[in-house]
Amino acid sequence: MIVKVLLTLWMAAMIVAAFLYAGAAAGFPGQTSRILFFHVPQAWIATLSFLLSMVASCMYLARRRVRADYLALSAAELGLLFCILATATGSIFAKATWGSFWNWDPRETSIVILLMIYGAYFALRSAVPDPDKRRVFAAVYSILAFVTVPFLVFVVPRITASLHPEDTMNPTNPGMDPKTLKVFLGSLLAYTGLFVWMLRLRIRLLRLEGRQEPEFVISEKLKQEGEKG
Amino acid sequence: MKSGRWRTQTGPLTYLNEATAIWLRDLRGEFRTRYAVNSILMFAVTTLVAVSFSIGSFRIGDAEKPFLYSVLLWIILVFSALSGLSRSFVKEEEAGTIDVLKLSARSQAVFLGKLFFNLTLLGALELIIVPLFILLMNYKIASPGHFAAMIISGGFGLGAGTTIVAAMIAQASARGALFSVLSFPLLLPLMITAIKGCERAADGMNTAGWPEVRIAVAYTVIMIIMSLFLFPLIWEE
Amino acid sequence: MYSLKVSNLCKHYTETLLFKDISFELHPGEVMAITGWNGSGKSTLLRIIAGLVRPSLGKVEMFMEDEPVPKESRRKFLGMVAPALALYDELTALENMEFFCKVRGIAYDRESCLNMMKRVGLTENANKTCRNYSSGMKQRLKLVQALLHNPPLLLLDEPGCNLDSNGMKIVEDIILEHRQLGMTVIASNEKREVAYADRAINLSE
Repeated sequence: MIVKVLLTLWMAAMIVAAFLYAGAAAGFPGQTSRILFFHVPQAWIATLSFLLSMVASCMYLARRRVRADYLALSAAELGLLFCILATATGSIFAKATWGSFWNWDPRETSIVILLMIYGAYFALRSAVPDPDKRRVFAAVYSILAFVTVPFLVFVVPRITASLHPEDTMNPTNPGMDPKTLKVFLGSLLAYTGLFVWMLRLRIRLLRLEGRQEPEFVISEKLKQEGEKG
Repeated sequence: MKSGRWRTQTGPLTYLNEATAIWLRDLRGEFRTRYAVNSILMFAVTTLVAVSFSIGSFRIGDAEKPFLYSVLLWIILVFSALSGLSRSFVKEEEAGTIDVLKLSARSQAVFLGKLFFNLTLLGALELIIVPLFILLMNYKIASPGHFAAMIISGGFGLGAGTTIVAAMIAQASARGALFSVLSFPLLLPLMITAIKGCERAADGMNTAGWPEVRIAVAYTVIMIIMSLFLFPLIWEE
Repeated sequence: MYSLKVSNLCKHYTETLLFKDISFELHPGEVMAITGWNGSGKSTLLRIIAGLVRPSLGKVEMFMEDEPVPKESRRKFLGMVAPALALYDELTALENMEFFCKVRGIAYDRESCLNMMKRVGLTENANKTCRNYSSGMKQRLKLVQALLHNPPLLLLDEPGCNLDSNGMKIVEDIILEHRQLGMTVIASNEKREVAYADRAINLSE
């Protein structure tokens, strides 16, 4: 309860600060740099969430504990959400700064590929009816997808940079004057808090739903009978 | 009713023997039914004809050709491959032979055998389509050795990245579309590299070291190793 | 000396409980029958023993000279016949057998394969592709496939299905011969098929 309230207040404070407290960064037209206070944390969370989901998948494959799969699934769902947000805010920024909504520069490309990976992950999950198989397959796919990411990090910049050298976005340095830095880090904290809070809620929900599943009901019944008999 | 007992020694060579047996059997079956080959080649030839007909070799400026042709070629290759590479696993599932295969062969041997089969299909595809493309589109290639290396390593990467996905979708529902949806994100790094590599080979600039070929080889090796680890998890329930 | 130990096997699919608390031990020379209505889970139980399906609860263990056999290796010591287990249609019978020999790591001996096929009554058709086989012929070939590597454990799921009375006689002979040295589990409702069983488990109760 407390956490929820604190989080809300902090996020609200960050939103206000992004517009009123920090100055607009030089080198970007008008007030456009302000969106980076939101866009960059979203992109980072989207990527880290993917990493988290992959690690949870490894944990699931190692011990086959369903909770690891709940974590993997929730992280993937939230990752997808933040990825969509990051793509949208990035696109708005691109329109404001360079005049077109989409440019296929390295970062834009990477975020879209991440979006596709998430989409494929959910497509796979919905195509396997048997729950155990579904978890194993989803975990395997998430690991495979993760393995291709280093290639994207190396490959995409080499290819597209040589085609469009002027389009390299550099959102990690939105003018490092102290006020901006403070708001930036504060926003990152707010988004991380939001992510963790939503993640825990989602996992709790999955656990509760899992208890209603027929498999669970039956297996619990069987285990109890096994203990009694 | 005597025949040999099951071989008890294990070692990498026996894996290869088993994998080869699976590969050759798949080839033999394919030779007799020609299902996957037909599917892949028909797709490739149809697309190629459509591209060649609508674009022709005179509508594009010479400066654009190396890049654009490379893109078109790889689009044709990748989508043709996606139309037929899941066949080896899906056929086993549909014919009901998947259980007897699970009971007879080691999982990594199954993976390797299917991988070899997919690579054979891809090899045949590239052997037919790439020269045809070069001919029809009048593709001028400055360093053919580099180009060939890119095509070959790209083909290996295509097989390496998709075989394990094929195994997954064969045991799922909605197979056709799902295979492409799952494979595409995994193949994107390879595709981007291969397109760039062919472009460089065609215009002959900056070809020192063949970096894209090395990336494609690295991709192939990594995907095969990961698949060898992960395949048993998918194969054995 | 092999033995099979099945403990507290339970299997359920979403809302349906197929069976629970199945436990037994099997030693060479013993034949176990699994009976029950259609859909009672006989085939599933056999598939769990074979290692093709995971049980919801319980476990299956195989021992060789009291040493447990790891799950991945269990398939080497069993041969299975089942309606769901198909052979390769586009290959001939001999090619199928050659494939299974190679992939199981057994030396392929054409003569002995032909002898086995003769024993189940399949000689003239050795060189036709299985697509042209009748279901009875396919069933006989499945029996050959299961015996190719002399497994200590034989899992037979409705071994007589699609077979005429000659075929049934062959199945009985195989069961009797295997019974001398090996373990057998037969899932069936046919009286002739379970006639030689020492004990039975009925899944419908």
